[in-house]
Amino acid sequence: MKIALVGNQNSGKTTLFNALTGMNQKIGNWPGVTIERKEGILKGSDDITVVDLPGIYSLSPYTSEEDVSRRFILDEKPDLIINILDATSLERSLYLSTQILELDCDVVLALNMADILESHGISINIEKLEEKLGVDIVSISAKKKTGIDELIDLIISKTYRKRKQIKIYPKEIEDTIKDFSSDLNIDNKRFVSVKLIEQDKGYRSFLNPSQKEKINKLENDFAMDSEQLIASKRYDFIEALKKECFSKKERKETITDKLDKIFLNKYLALPIFAVVMAFVYFLSIGIVGGFMTPLIEVFFNGASPEEAVEFNILFTKLEASIDFIGLSPLVSNWLTSINASPWAVSLVCDGVIAGVGSILTFVPQIIIMFICLSILETTGYMSRIAFFLDRIFHKFGLSGKSLIPFIVGTGCSVPGIMSCRIVEDQNERDTSIILTPFMPCSAKLPVIALFSSAFFPKTGWIVTLSFYFIAIAIILLFGALFKKFIFKGEHSSFISELPEYKAPSFSYVSRDVFDKSFSFIKRAGTIILLCSIVVWFLSSFTFTFTYIDGVHATINDSMLAGIGNVFAWVFYLMLGGNYSWAATVSAIQSLIAKEQVISSMTVIANVSGEDALFAAGSPFAFFNSWSAFAYLTFILFSAPCFGALGAMRKEIGSFKKFAFGVVFQTGIAWILSTAIGLIGWGVMA
Amino acid sequence: MKKSRILKSGEEGHLSDLRRGQKCVVLDFHNDNAVLRRRLLDMGITKGVEIEIKKIAPLGDPIDIMLRGYELCIRKSDMKSIDVRVI
Repeated sequence: MKIALVGNQNSGKTTLFNALTGMNQKIGNWPGVTIERKEGILKGSDDITVVDLPGIYSLSPYTSEEDVSRRFILDEKPDLIINILDATSLERSLYLSTQILELDCDVVLALNMADILESHGISINIEKLEEKLGVDIVSISAKKKTGIDELIDLIISKTYRKRKQIKIYPKEIEDTIKDFSSDLNIDNKRFVSVKLIEQDKGYRSFLNPSQKEKINKLENDFAMDSEQLIASKRYDFIEALKKECFSKKERKETITDKLDKIFLNKYLALPIFAVVMAFVYFLSIGIVGGFMTPLIEVFFNGASPEEAVEFNILFTKLEASIDFIGLSPLVSNWLTSINASPWAVSLVCDGVIAGVGSILTFVPQIIIMFICLSILETTGYMSRIAFFLDRIFHKFGLSGKSLIPFIVGTGCSVPGIMSCRIVEDQNERDTSIILTPFMPCSAKLPVIALFSSAFFPKTGWIVTLSFYFIAIAIILLFGALFKKFIFKGEHSSFISELPEYKAPSFSYVSRDVFDKSFSFIKRAGTIILLCSIVVWFLSSFTFTFTYIDGVHATINDSMLAGIGNVFAWVFYLMLGGNYSWAATVSAIQSLIAKEQVISSMTVIANVSGEDALFAAGSPFAFFNSWSAFAYLTFILFSAPCFGALGAMRKEIGSFKKFAFGVVFQTGIAWILSTAIGLIGWGVMA
Repeated sequence: MKKSRILKSGEEGHLSDLRRGQKCVVLDFHNDNAVLRRRLLDMGITKGVEIEIKKIAPLGDPIDIMLRGYELCIRKSDMKSIDVRVI
């Protein structure tokens, strides 16, 4: 048995899905969080599949993710539809129900947010509503998990009312529906007949002349085109229902209205937004990054006596002696003591621990950033940002909603690119997809942090922030250029809702942050681990498979150097006239994962016998602040990692646009970074 | 941008001409974009429906309107295609 969850956007479908299946799918507080269908098994059953679908307002889809829902309902024919009603916008919720109730499928209505009815001054006569609509209604709160058991019982026992069609239109229209239905020999007769009357573009080619005449007559009688006629009669039916079954007290100013007076204030909105975003990055990169990252480095590499003094404050509290050797020296000593060969020691310490450890040092600041973003999402503030930035973004060929992919993209480009689906207009969507990867994602953050702590120790967080500003500048500039020259569109629109403000839910934020952080750490243990071993191998052996011990052969004879030298000319100018195979191979590896740049550099530098990345003798010793900035610019803005490229290809639809996007991204990155490198070369010379 | 006169009760105009807090009834709407028109219909903007201007974005656009017991944000350019009578 297959059950579909259908309802408006942001009506709590995914929260209900999680409650029904015990799963943990991503939820949020903006319309359009779910962009693909998700399946799970109903709790307490073995064979009942629950399918969570993207939110829709009608069975005439508007955006591509809404089409996912409509096609599922019509083509895959679920055995039961659970239609979620948002009790706080009941009229609009019921509009979708009037369409769903025209299908032959069994339907149960779940009246969500039952817990806040009273505080919203809403009272609903459920028995009366059940009778009028001919379906069962279960009153639930997906968030507080009330009414869920009743709903599950009803589904498993199959005691819900079977479908019988109800009449909702005036007699003339009902007669036409009956007339059209009798000519049809398919499922969902009533639904299809109404679609025919509406002259929906998927159905109107099936209309015969006599049917067209009947529609014309209806249009004349009601003095409205048929599409508007059906929509307004549906709403008339709901108005009539409302009079009989529910009432809503006229509410005074709500908390949301009061908060919006501040957050959407004409003069305060933009400054508040700037402060909020600056705070997020200052907290994660400045405070937490600056404090925790060195601490974890100590764990892996041990602390020198000078560094030990720095951390004294922490350790004296524990009254422990400061003689921390660090994981890497510890393992190295142990392996040497059991007579492991030098290359085996090097593989474990210089390859595995150095490569993976270099990524793990950045976990704390990434967790903090994920927490902040998660709070922004769940409180409803993100929808406000989209709302007030639309005016600006619209001018630059984007929608206000593009802001959501951009902000989600600062976590990871893959969900960022996927969330571009909420942008209605095709051109604005394609532009958003190509521009989203410019936002520095969490994997790029460690790369920025590494270079800025080495070359801009005092102004690190400003440098970091500057990359966000460069990213935004690129996005706006090219958004406008795309609009003018490439994705020429005539009209676009912005139709959205401002959800109510909600206090951030602890369980939601912690789960969301755990999931995202876990996937970051998992990558360090899988793809980064593998790449680190490969890089170690290529940099530790020559083409004749001689182990590089620093005496008979140096790292410049390694296979990795050989490969890098072939491409190093590309980076010659941006590195201020340095022909560096080491920087080249590290940059190429950023395609696998952006943070792999650090692992690669760490492994190469360690193998060459020098611990400090940029100290004399290291293959990266040539870097100065200019070339570091230029190199970073290239890593950050060139084609994103394979994961994000895959998402781009999938979402953008045509290979031509995809190829354009990648060439564009890499081209811009190369031009920009080469320009910075050249200026630096001139300044330093 | 030319500031239009505030519409008084009983006067007719476009939805985009209304100020914050004003209420109106939809008379008709004429949008050439079939998809957008469909969306607005689905969101409940049909003849005779009452609309109140609730919130205006800090930069003047888009605008948050209240209809059928819920709030909806739309761009001013789309509101131009909706004819209303102020109440």
